Amino acid sequence: MLSRVADSLYWMAKNIERAENNSRIISTRLINVLEADDSEVIANRDWGEIIDICSSFDDYVATDYTQNPDTVIQYLAFQLENPNALLKSIEVARENAKSTREIIPSELFETLNDCYWASKQVDDKQWNYKDVDQLLKQIIQTSFTTQGIIESSLTRDDSYAFIQIGKWLERAEKTSRILTMMCEKMMEDHVQPTEKFYYECLRILQFVNGHEAFLKKYPPSIKSADVLEFLIVDNSFPRSILYCIEHVQDEISTMEDGQVSIYSEALFTILEKATDDLASISTHDATMLELFDFLQKFQGHCNQIGEIFSKTYYLVDPSLSESYQNQS
Amino acid sequence: MFKNYDPSKFYDEMLESTEKPKNHYKSFYNILANFSNHELYEKHEVAQLSFLRQGITFTVYSGEQSTERTMPFDFLPVIIPTDEWSRVEKGMVQRVKALNLFLEDVYHDQHILDDGIVPRDLIENNPYYYQQQAAGIKIPLDNHIFLAGIDLIKDEHGEYRVLEDNLRNPSGLSYVYQNRFVMRRVFPEFFNQHQIRTLEHQMSLLHDSLKSHVPDHSESPHNPTMVLLTPGQYNSAYYDHVFLAQQMGIELVEGRDLLVRDDVVYMKTIHGLQRVDIIYRRIDDDYLDPEAFKPESMLGVNGLLKAYHKKNVAILNGIGNGVADDKAIYAYVPAIIKYYLDEEPILKNVETYLLEEEQSRNYVLENLEKLVVKNVGASGGYDMLIGPHASEHEIESFRKKIIEEPHQYIAQPTIKLSRMPAFQNNKFYPCHIDLRVFVMSGEKTKVLPGGLSRVALKEGSLVVNSSQGGGGKDTWVIKEGGE
Repeated sequence: MLSRVADSLYWMAKNIERAENNSRIISTRLINVLEADDSEVIANRDWGEIIDICSSFDDYVATDYTQNPDTVIQYLAFQLENPNALLKSIEVARENAKSTREIIPSELFETLNDCYWASKQVDDKQWNYKDVDQLLKQIIQTSFTTQGIIESSLTRDDSYAFIQIGKWLERAEKTSRILTMMCEKMMEDHVQPTEKFYYECLRILQFVNGHEAFLKKYPPSIKSADVLEFLIVDNSFPRSILYCIEHVQDEISTMEDGQVSIYSEALFTILEKATDDLASISTHDATMLELFDFLQKFQGHCNQIGEIFSKTYYLVDPSLSESYQNQS
Repeated sequence: MFKNYDPSKFYDEMLESTEKPKNHYKSFYNILANFSNHELYEKHEVAQLSFLRQGITFTVYSGEQSTERTMPFDFLPVIIPTDEWSRVEKGMVQRVKALNLFLEDVYHDQHILDDGIVPRDLIENNPYYYQQQAAGIKIPLDNHIFLAGIDLIKDEHGEYRVLEDNLRNPSGLSYVYQNRFVMRRVFPEFFNQHQIRTLEHQMSLLHDSLKSHVPDHSESPHNPTMVLLTPGQYNSAYYDHVFLAQQMGIELVEGRDLLVRDDVVYMKTIHGLQRVDIIYRRIDDDYLDPEAFKPESMLGVNGLLKAYHKKNVAILNGIGNGVADDKAIYAYVPAIIKYYLDEEPILKNVETYLLEEEQSRNYVLENLEKLVVKNVGASGGYDMLIGPHASEHEIESFRKKIIEEPHQYIAQPTIKLSRMPAFQNNKFYPCHIDLRVFVMSGEKTKVLPGGLSRVALKEGSLVVNSSQGGGGKDTWVIKEGGE
C-alpha cells in the first residue's frame, strides 16, 4: 500500500473518532447544563475543561473569546480555525476518504460525504441549539455507521490495520485526556480516590459512553477508584486505555506477522513501555498525584507512538501538509 | 407531453414532430408518456441528489473561491440505432489509427511534413510539440494514444461530424458509467423494454489495453505494476481518476508518491519502494517532470523523462500528443487519414478556415457575425466567439485578435447542432447536444459503446462544457436485432 494512502486512512479514522468523541462530550455537557444549579464560576470552569478536552485551552484563550456557552460551542463546533472543531474533523475525514476512494468501500465515503453536506447545511454563525443537537447526533451516528461499514466490508489487510490503529490511538488519547482533567479536579478539591465524587464520575462515564457498561460491572454505586480502574485498565471496556493500546499492539503485530524487524523495533519497544506502565499502575492504591503523573507520562507515550508509527511506515511528514494537524 | 415543443428548427434526435417520435424512440416515448409531470420532477431530483451523495462532483474555481458542483443530469437518453453506431465505430477506429500513425511519424521520420501534406511550421510552432522530450523514442506498440475522447456532433441533416479530437487527457469516462448507473436506479422501467449494449467488461478491456504497453526493460513483463498518476483531489477531473484506477484495479498515485532512482520509477509504499512499469498519467506534459519541463511543477516527478527514454517505464498517453489534437491540425485530419491509410474519412470534419491563409482570413473577417471562432490552444469553451450570439463589441475584439495572431485562431461555420428534449424546471424544452466517444487502443483498437452525451442546458445555449453550465445524458446504443 502507498504510504500516502496509509497516512490518509490513519487520519481519516482519527478524525472520525475525534468528531464522535467531541460530539458526545459537548452533548453531555449541554444536557448537564440543564440540571446544574452551579454558580457562574463553576459553570465557567466546566466549560473551560470541555475546551481543554476537545481542543486546546491556550489556543482558545488566544482567540479572546469569552467563556459563555455560545462562544464555546461556536469554537468547538464551527470555527474552522480550530483544527479540532467538529466541522473541521468532518472535513478532514471526508477529504482523506476522498483521496483513498479507490481503496475504501464506496459506502464509507458516501456516509462521510452525507455528514459533510449535512454539516454544511447548518448556518455556522446563526445556529440555534436545536441545530447543534441535531449535528452532534448525526456525527455520532456517522461514526457508528462508518465503523459498521469497515467491519462488514473492508478486507482485513493493511488498509484495515491503518484505520484501526488510527481509531484506537485517538480513543486512548481521548480517554486519558478526560481522566487527566478528572485528576486535576480531584486534586484541586482535595478528594482522594476512595472518596465519593459522584457528579464528576457520572459525567466522565457519560463522556466515554461508559455509564451503562460501568453500572453492569460495579453496581450500584459509583466510586471514583472504580471509575479510574474501569477507564484505565479494564480489559473488556472498549474505551479503556489498556484495551485501546492492546488493540494497537495487536494490529501492528498482525500486520508484521508477529515478527519484530529492524525497522519496526522502535515501534514495538514504545508500545511495550506503554503497556508495562499500565500493568504496574494500581488504581486503588495510587495517590491522585501518582495517577496524574502516570497519565501525563501516558500522553507522552501516545505522542511518541504516533511519531514512531509514522516514521516506521514512511507516512507523510506532518509538517509538510496542513491538513494533518495534531491535537497537542 | 411535448405540446409547446418545436422540433422543426434543428435536427431533432427524438421527435419527428410535436406528436410523433422517431422510430428508435417509440418505445421510450410510450413509457415516458405514462409518467405524470410530478413523478418526472421527483425522479429528476433523486437523480441530481444521487450524484452529490456519491461525491461525483467537479470543482469550479473563481478567483480564490472554489466550490464543488455536480454535473446536472438529464434523464432523456440519447438513443443510437445499431447501424448508425457501427458507422461511428468504424469512423473512430479509422481516425485514431491515422492520428497515431501521424504522431509516430511526426516524432520520427516526418514523411508527412517532407511530402508537404501538413505544413512544417504548424508542427514546429506548436506549443505542444515536444521534439526534445519525445522525438526518436521507440515506445511500446508504437502506440501514442491509449485513450482518446473524440467529440462528435450532428449537423442539420442529422449527419455525424467530428468536432474535436482529445488525445491528451480526455475526461468524462466515469460519467458515462455514472449516468447509466443513476438512470438504472431512477428509471428501471425503461430497461426492461430496451435491448441496449452494456458497459460491463469495457473496463477490463481498458485494463488489458493498458497492460499491453509493457516497457522494454520491465522486470515483470507478464505482471507489470501499473499506476494512474493524478494531480490530486483538487483537480476538477479527480473523480474520473478515482473511478478509472478503481475499475482497472491499479494504484492511484500522486507525483509525491513516486520517485526515480537510477532511472527507474518507484512508488513509496509502507514497506519501502516498489518498481513501477506503466504510468497512465492524467497530468499534462509540461507538469510531468520538473527536470524536463516546467521547473516549478509541484505535481511531477523528477527524472521521469529519463526513465522513459531508457525504456524503464511506459507513459500513456504519449508525451507530445497535443501536436495532433490541436484545432489547427484538426483541419488536416482528413488529409492525414488519406495519407496514411489511403482511405476516405468515414466521419467528416466540420468545415474549418485556417486564418493564416489570406483568402480565408479575409472571408472570415467579413463574415464574423455568421461564424464560430476558436483559439487553437484553448479548450473548455474558453476564448471562443459564437458570431450569431455575439455583441458587436465581442466581434470587434475577435477581429483584432485575429489580425494580431492569425495562427492562434480558426473559424468554422455555425453549425446547426442537433437538439433533443431535456427536462428542466418542470418542463421539456429543446437543447443542443454533442457526444464524446471514447476510443481505447493497445494491441487492438476498441470503441466504448455510446459515450458521454453532453447537453447545453441553458435554453438556446450552444456550449456543452460542464464548466459552463452543460449537463450529461445517458447514451444508449441499441443491440443488434434489438430494434
